Amino acid sequence: MITFENVGMRYGMGAEVLKDISFTLEKGSFHFLMGPSGAGKTTLLKLLYLAHRPSRGLINFFGRDLMTLEREVLPRLRRRVGVVFQDFRLFDHMTAFENVALPLRIQGAKKAQVADHVEELLSWVGLEDRMHARPATLSGGEKQRVAIARAIINKPDLLVADEPTGNVDPEMSRRLMHLFVALNKEGTTIVVATHDDTLVREMAAPTLKLDKGELSFIPGGRPVDPGE
Amino acid sequence: MWGRTLQFLPKDMREGLLPWVIGVMLFLCTLALACGLALGRGLERWSAGLTTNLTVQIAVLDDRERAKQTDAALTLLRATPGIVEANVLADADVVALLRPWLGEMPFDTGLPIPTLIDVKLSRPDAVSTLGLRERLIAAAPGAQLDDHQEWMSQVLDLAAVVRLLLAGIVVMVVMSTVAIVIFGCRAGLATHRESIEIMHLMGAEDATISRAFDERYMSHGLKGGLVGVLLAALTLYFVAHMAERMGQGLLTASLPTADSLIWLGLLPIVSALLTMLTARITVRRALLKLM
Repeated sequence: MITFENVGMRYGMGAEVLKDISFTLEKGSFHFLMGPSGAGKTTLLKLLYLAHRPSRGLINFFGRDLMTLEREVLPRLRRRVGVVFQDFRLFDHMTAFENVALPLRIQGAKKAQVADHVEELLSWVGLEDRMHARPATLSGGEKQRVAIARAIINKPDLLVADEPTGNVDPEMSRRLMHLFVALNKEGTTIVVATHDDTLVREMAAPTLKLDKGELSFIPGGRPVDPGE
Repeated sequence: MWGRTLQFLPKDMREGLLPWVIGVMLFLCTLALACGLALGRGLERWSAGLTTNLTVQIAVLDDRERAKQTDAALTLLRATPGIVEANVLADADVVALLRPWLGEMPFDTGLPIPTLIDVKLSRPDAVSTLGLRERLIAAAPGAQLDDHQEWMSQVLDLAAVVRLLLAGIVVMVVMSTVAIVIFGCRAGLATHRESIEIMHLMGAEDATISRAFDERYMSHGLKGGLVGVLLAALTLYFVAHMAERMGQGLLTASLPTADSLIWLGLLPIVSALLTMLTARITVRRALLKLM
């Protein structure tokens, strides 16, 4: 579904942040992305959620060559990718409901359809009572769930999450991972960047490990459902 | 939130002054345009009166000779096709004309006062002034024909310069407004950079993002335009009222009529469209820098 071949990335005239990155994300796969700070995780995630074009190499995104793709086509591709940012990046002046509704509204969905979908999803992430609360009044875990709901509201083919459990307690962390697993079972390809070794061991999913811009692959063991 | 435009921008206090700045610009623009209109209208009325009007002066010292030449000139003028009327101005009227220069003076000062004949033409080009001047001198050697052209052309030249100046002011005000909107819009883009980036990454097209700015800046332009034009209208009304009280007929006559001011009412709409288009171009250009 997504293939990186010898991808290199540098900002301006600086040193290469990513060097000869090659990997494939199959449809419905679940990968962790690990590596120390400054290893290039954020840059790789940015390439995955189409915030940047690489400096060199080939990226095949849903069957399209990213290097030759016209700018006008990119919004449609971006709608197939859900992103959970480490710092949530919710719109503070909007309610949880309005934040989650945004991706559907961008696609031009009707108000009634939007309302049904958003209410259902916010209930699924356990926020049915907080729909009309603004981010400032939500806890870290609640904000994270709103951010996740916003990322998955339009059933993306790829979900990219940057440290989704970094701001929550272990119990909430397990519940969030449970959400990702449930989503993955429905066919969404998932990439989760994390520093949490325990989480990676529990999940036993394959890991893309970055170190000084170079990528190595660690195969996963038997997947462990965090609900077990 | 649920209108045609996906309004993702929060209300920003730092943009709160923009409508007021646009308002001041529109106030100046409206006043300049109104002055231009007033000047045009005043000149039109004034020159219309003068171009169908000639003055013949009989400046002869001897009273009998002056009376004789006056009769001869009147006979010639009244017989000339294209001249509707030719009348000798009464002494009192001539003295009244001299009053601004000589002050109050009695009729019998002994000063030689020329005889003035007021000539009215059927239309501005009804008579060749060159031919008439020659015929007049033949009939009354002391006659001088004044068709006001020399003086009027100087006034019209001055008026043209003033109108050019006013047009320059309008152009500068419009350009300043565009510059202010561009700066405001760039500041807005910087303030909302993160929101724009999130919308962009969620798959929003450039048009969707720029429409939010279009709507916001159109509203600023409309509000500013309304405030500016309203203040300018109040100012013009005040000036007209004062002029009427002071009995300044020329000034009152020069003020633009309600009909000619109707198009000034379009200025807030023009202001709204101008700010909207400026914002759209600024935002679209900035968005092109994103992947």
